[in-house]
Amino acid sequence: MKRLRPLLGTYVEIGCEGGTKRQQALACEAAFAAIAEVQRLLSFHDRCSDLGRLNRSGGDWVPLDPLSLRVLHLARRLMEQSGAAFNCLVGGSLVATGDLPRLHRGRVLVAGVPADLELGEDRARLRRPVQVTLDGIAKGFAVDQGIKMLRRFRVPGGWINAGGDLRTFGPTGCPLLRREATGAIGALGRLRDAACATSTVRTARDQRFPGRIVDPSGRALPGGGTHSVLARHAWLADALTKVAAVSPPERRAAAVAALGGRYLPEPAPILEEVA
Amino acid sequence: MLRANHAWELAALTPLSVLVAPAGAADYLTIEEAQAVLVPSADTFEPHPLTLTKDQRKAIKRLAGTRQRRAEQLAWRARRAGETIGWVLLDDVVGKHEFITYAVALSPAGRVLGVEILSYRETHGGEVRDAAWRAVFKGKTIEDPFVLDEDVPNLSGATLSSRNLTNGVKRLLALQRVALPRD
Repeated sequence: MKRLRPLLGTYVEIGCEGGTKRQQALACEAAFAAIAEVQRLLSFHDRCSDLGRLNRSGGDWVPLDPLSLRVLHLARRLMEQSGAAFNCLVGGSLVATGDLPRLHRGRVLVAGVPADLELGEDRARLRRPVQVTLDGIAKGFAVDQGIKMLRRFRVPGGWINAGGDLRTFGPTGCPLLRREATGAIGALGRLRDAACATSTVRTARDQRFPGRIVDPSGRALPGGGTHSVLARHAWLADALTKVAAVSPPERRAAAVAALGGRYLPEPAPILEEVA
Repeated sequence: MLRANHAWELAALTPLSVLVAPAGAADYLTIEEAQAVLVPSADTFEPHPLTLTKDQRKAIKRLAGTRQRRAEQLAWRARRAGETIGWVLLDDVVGKHEFITYAVALSPAGRVLGVEILSYRETHGGEVRDAAWRAVFKGKTIEDPFVLDEDVPNLSGATLSSRNLTNGVKRLLALQRVALPRD
């Protein structure tokens, strides 16, 4: 059984394999609700979300939901461990280019350093006028929260695909394909109990695919490319595609592996023949 | 916690040994199923198809900011024990490369109760995809064995925006205000 709904600015598909129909329906509903909760807390576009309030705070302490703090911790730690190849504080540069809305009235810095984000027990504050963007991690985190729900309802297997960030669990897994920037589709393999995320660096704006990756200092990345990463959790796969995108080609696989993921090579064309 | 776990890695992605049908088309619910999911406490869904006048379409455009392209609109009144408890509207998002049929449930007061997608068709790169798919069969005879993986594949890729659908929902809220009875 599968369902598709608009969420997180994209289309989110939830699939359940095994279990009773009622179990699947309840699990699915609960998983969508968990994903909607992540959206409610962490949407950059919503000035009343936890993220919106933090970005508008002008340096004051802002009380935050434990879930929001968990994601901020994950983001900041990955920023430190990746030498800022993953940078959740480049919101300012995306505001400057119009890719994200302007929430803070004063001047904002195009990028920041981990020390700019101070995290307390149940609150956080910005020590300089940076803008936090969790675009590179929140979608994956939402997928993980959804999978947690499906498991909690004891669904034996399934998947969640949030606009191309996906995770599967259970014995079967699923065939994994990748969409290239050209629209061509290639086969990556069969995915089991793992997450896969793909990011595309585009040379020209495309309204259908509004996401944008910039380098750690907030500058546009040259050239194009499609990068896929495998990880145990969707939040990490999502985040590591950004690390892959900003790393030079010869260092990509190593950079991703050092942080717990696997950089996937070019997919095979879909005409995979039987042995 | 972030160190690579090789045992997990080896099992996570295995080569595909059978043909996989290209992704890009999926059906999720019939309209009846969608109605039942969207307004589960309703006992009847009464068809209430609309033909909008030019003035009504103008009013919708003014309220919602997007054009109501068609004069025809399929709608159902959801009733429980005779009382109207909501409306279900069927609509399409027609993008340059995607065609999505969806249903929205609205409360009598004009709040969104839910959105369910009935079918999803994506045509981006369709030519490339179809050509590659056809090429697999070139030269094969009836004697050649091939096995098709029955599992539906999952597609990873850059994130497609759902803004068109969100605008569609806004338009349908305006349509409710303009053209559906208030009782």
